[in-house]
Amino acid sequence: MIIGTNKSGNALTVSLEGRLDTVTAPELDAALKAALPGVADLIFDFAKLEYVSSAGLRVLLSAQKTMNAQGKMRIRNVNETITEIFDVTGFSDILTIE
Amino acid sequence: MKEKTEKKGGFWSRLRDRLTPDEMFLETEIQANKLGALILLCSGIILALILVLTAFGAFLLPMSSVFSPLIQAVVEVLILLVVCRAVKYRAWWLKHLLMLGLVIVYARLDVVVTHKAAILMVLPVLFSSRYFSRRLTVFTSIFTTVVFAISAIWGSTHGMININIVTMEAGTTMTATGGFLGDAVNNAGAADRAAFDAMLIKNTLLFDYLPKWLMFSIASIISCNIARRGREMVVNQHEKDVETARISTELNLATRIQADMVPNIYPAFPDRREFDVYATMDPAKEVGGDFYDFFLVDDDHLCLVMADVSGKGVPAALFMMASKIILANNAMIGKSPGQILSDTNAAICSHNREEMFVTVWLGILEISTGKLIAANAGHEYPVVKRGDGDFEILRDKHGFVVGGMAGMQYKEYEITLEPGSRLFLYTDGVPEATDAENNMFGVDRMLAALNEAKDKTTVEILRSVRGAVDGFVRNAEQFDDLTMLCLEYKGTAGPQKTEGEDADASDTPQERKGLPE
Repeated sequence: MIIGTNKSGNALTVSLEGRLDTVTAPELDAALKAALPGVADLIFDFAKLEYVSSAGLRVLLSAQKTMNAQGKMRIRNVNETITEIFDVTGFSDILTIE
Repeated sequence: MKEKTEKKGGFWSRLRDRLTPDEMFLETEIQANKLGALILLCSGIILALILVLTAFGAFLLPMSSVFSPLIQAVVEVLILLVVCRAVKYRAWWLKHLLMLGLVIVYARLDVVVTHKAAILMVLPVLFSSRYFSRRLTVFTSIFTTVVFAISAIWGSTHGMININIVTMEAGTTMTATGGFLGDAVNNAGAADRAAFDAMLIKNTLLFDYLPKWLMFSIASIISCNIARRGREMVVNQHEKDVETARISTELNLATRIQADMVPNIYPAFPDRREFDVYATMDPAKEVGGDFYDFFLVDDDHLCLVMADVSGKGVPAALFMMASKIILANNAMIGKSPGQILSDTNAAICSHNREEMFVTVWLGILEISTGKLIAANAGHEYPVVKRGDGDFEILRDKHGFVVGGMAGMQYKEYEITLEPGSRLFLYTDGVPEATDAENNMFGVDRMLAALNEAKDKTTVEILRSVRGAVDGFVRNAEQFDDLTMLCLEYKGTAGPQKTEGEDADASDTPQERKGLPE
């Protein structure tokens, strides 16, 4: 998985490419832990993300909880497979998907 | 007298205890002993070759000075080789004997060729580092220092004379009688043999042995370092091996404990004719985060659970154990599915700093009526076959995963199972099983496999799905836990014979985890 970050002011855009699964989720977790302090507007770009496993969902949930406390979090360009995963797991209810 | 022998025995056994390596070094030592034997063999062959070539006049050395020390060296080599073989390279004293032997053999050659063979002095200490024992390397260094000093002294007067270090009084004349320059120099010293020899010994020690010894001491330091580092590496490796073995033992036990946590003796309810239930759990690693559960809440209510904890391995397994127990405890006191999930969510969220969560499908079947009330906390869609129909995905209402966020409520829904209906529950390991080219098995293939066996027993239905998954995945590594449950509702109107049911029930009365091959 490739993690791209772009920070401007207190807005952070994180674009992911590949699969967010058991193997790659810890990378994203570590990247977010380092980057999130001070961020008020977190945007995930999933245009090139193919798949999210439960380990990946856990990282997204953790990010959502962090952002609930310090700003907002949005997810963009979610493909059909991942939309289905979000719907099935009920994550659509707690995430902001644009 | 008695006391004396005891003391002597005490000394030897104490020495042996001191010099016997730890168990973890035994293999290293035997290998090193074999290497020592190989070095001896090579040295012996070279010595014998020198002897033969000297006999044919290939070297400028007189046979008289070469024969005696070299033949002794060859004999020593042979004795050592025989000893090595006799004790099968295993005796605790062998390494010391090899060191002593090698040093003496090389010192004998040093006596003959004196200043020409500086590197011989370094060989034993270099080899000693292979034992990863700094003590042995220090022992070899000291012994080499002493023995080569003796060989230098002996060689200076009896071996090849080093004319570069001979000091002469002014005006000394030498007469060549043919042969070597060294002979002429030696003859010139004959006038005062004792003084000449003393000068030779002094100069050899000062100009020959000392520089050689300085180089040797550096090689000793390097060898000591190699021995110490090698020892550390062997010890570290040993500790890691012990740790790995311990973890492996624990995981084996954990696998069995986890497999026993879920109902796994079939038929599960031999005295109930209204329904049949069968499930399998196959973790990708030793332990997994998937689980199923089924139990009677009371005589008329069967609770079914299928769940999948986020992540894999030991963390998922720990979380799975807690989730399973909390769910079952909530279900057993007669709560409704939605309430069970809400209360379980609250209980888990209160102690969940690692933010793990679990997807759960939980249903309670009223056995007398076929009425099934269920709630889905972010789990895969269940698959239902109604009556004579096909297996179809049931797109049920989905709530959020359990443990994800406090205060979640879960909606219930109700379906009615007619006699002959079947319910198939699974975790995402089934549709997301992946082949070597990263293609997923998918829901369509899963439905096809289900419908192929739709009227068969629960055991055969799961076998059909597992067979299809295995056929699809082939030799790709199983990446996710694979867990399935199938319920067959036969109704209360009386036992409905299912094709092959009786045969199967008797085939697999005590079936454990995993489908039969």
